[in-house]
Amino acid sequence: MMLQTFSDLLQLCQQESLSIGQAALKYEVARGEKDEAAVLASVRMMLDQMKATIQSGLYSDEKSMSGLSGGFSHKVMTFFEQSDKKFMSPVEHKMMAYALATMEENSRMKKIVACPTAGASGVVPAVLIALQEEKHLSDQTMELALLAAGLVGELVSRRMYLSGAAAGCQAEVGVATGMSAAGIVDAMGGTPQQGLDATAIAFKNMMGLVCDPVAGLVEVPCVKRNSVAGIHASAAATLAMADIYSFIPLDEVVEAMVKVGQLMHPSLKESAEGGLAATPTAVAFTKNLFHQGSS
Amino acid sequence: VPYLWPVQDESPLNTPGSLFDVMGPIMVGPSSSHTAGAVRLAQLARFIANQPIHHVTFQLYNSFAKTYRGHGTDRGLLAGILGLSVNDERIREAYQFTGSLQYTFQVMPDDSSLPPNTVSIILGLQDGTQQTIVGHSLGGGKVLISRIDEYHVNLRGEYPTLVLFYQDEPGMIWQVTKCIAENKINIATLNCARRAKGSQAFMAICLDALLPESSVAQIKAIQNVYVVHNIDRLPS
Repeated sequence: MMLQTFSDLLQLCQQESLSIGQAALKYEVARGEKDEAAVLASVRMMLDQMKATIQSGLYSDEKSMSGLSGGFSHKVMTFFEQSDKKFMSPVEHKMMAYALATMEENSRMKKIVACPTAGASGVVPAVLIALQEEKHLSDQTMELALLAAGLVGELVSRRMYLSGAAAGCQAEVGVATGMSAAGIVDAMGGTPQQGLDATAIAFKNMMGLVCDPVAGLVEVPCVKRNSVAGIHASAAATLAMADIYSFIPLDEVVEAMVKVGQLMHPSLKESAEGGLAATPTAVAFTKNLFHQGSS
Repeated sequence: VPYLWPVQDESPLNTPGSLFDVMGPIMVGPSSSHTAGAVRLAQLARFIANQPIHHVTFQLYNSFAKTYRGHGTDRGLLAGILGLSVNDERIREAYQFTGSLQYTFQVMPDDSSLPPNTVSIILGLQDGTQQTIVGHSLGGGKVLISRIDEYHVNLRGEYPTLVLFYQDEPGMIWQVTKCIAENKINIATLNCARRAKGSQAFMAICLDALLPESSVAQIKAIQNVYVVHNIDRLPS
């Protein structure tokens, strides 16, 4: 199946009356490695692991090896369940807590689903599973929504390597946010055009995001960034489903991200030499961590 | 006579891939490029060696060199050499499973000519020989082996792959593919190149199943075949 660009994808969806999720299923089956039942079984396996990771991490207070993270998802759940100062909706609280749960498990070297990477593995599962629970969506709907997110990521990965080292965090949490936005629109029954606009809006706001991990660890700012990104994806999906279109088409937005990634200074691409990693607090922490590590 | 094969730049970009490359793999954290990618590069090195490994030196470049400790890149590399897969929770304790394997990590100076996450894996093998494998982690757990000893290759672990270096002469492809056909194994892709007519040539054959060792021995016995690597695909 010849799918090169998002405009090809939109054309396919419109010609054959497919959702992005249905087009994604067709795409994967057409690769000839797995039939439809096998593709859906693999998607279910991914969703099951995503749920299992969230469950094991959600109320865990175990710290990561560096001590920088651990116990945050528990705090959000406690705030959600008990605080009279909460003002966001249940689905939003869950999205934030679930992303933290996954990222905290990740930093404990536990099992996660890279989506599209491990450093950005919190966003897609949190958004889709919180949505399923709060909106009572079927497993079948979520399988197609995850496929839709996957196809968005796949088309972007033709243009840029999805790693902070290659193109900054816009290629990791940025891409996960755009994938999630498309997944939400698909799950909520929006049109393919709205799905791509949601992705474009999300990408436009994530463009230029640097990868600046403190001490080179996938923890600060990654863990909390994943948590906030789910809300970001929700906002982009809401705008798109309100029929607010993206002035710049998605293919051009992706091209711009590719160019921004190339222009980005190496110190801001995962080398832990710039951005937050170069702040006095980060430098002091790093010195102490490696001092302990060598003793 | 060893020689340096010119790099065939077949970029992994622009090639349609599986959605499960993007939503997956199921892996042990914390980093798909530094942990899972490291496991997979070392797994491929183990497949390429195809015999017990006595000692291993990992030379880490660029981002691998700067951040390997925090990402568990060292544990991932060891785990891959020991045969663990990306979703194995024992990666975290890889140092406990090394047994008699000797290992060294070397942090190398920055080299901007190399991709950001590069490792050179130098293996000391049971038969007394040494093998050097250069690989790169491309993001999201995707990997690329670009060199085996003096030879440039383009190996991603997506298919069982047969890599051959041989003398360019008539009938070579036929002799090799005959051995594959006799096993009723399908060829997914076949890439050939040569330096010059009658000079050294290269063949990389991606298969739908791994070729049995008996057939590999048959291919090794073909006159003027210098080097044969029979490399399994990475487990998903």
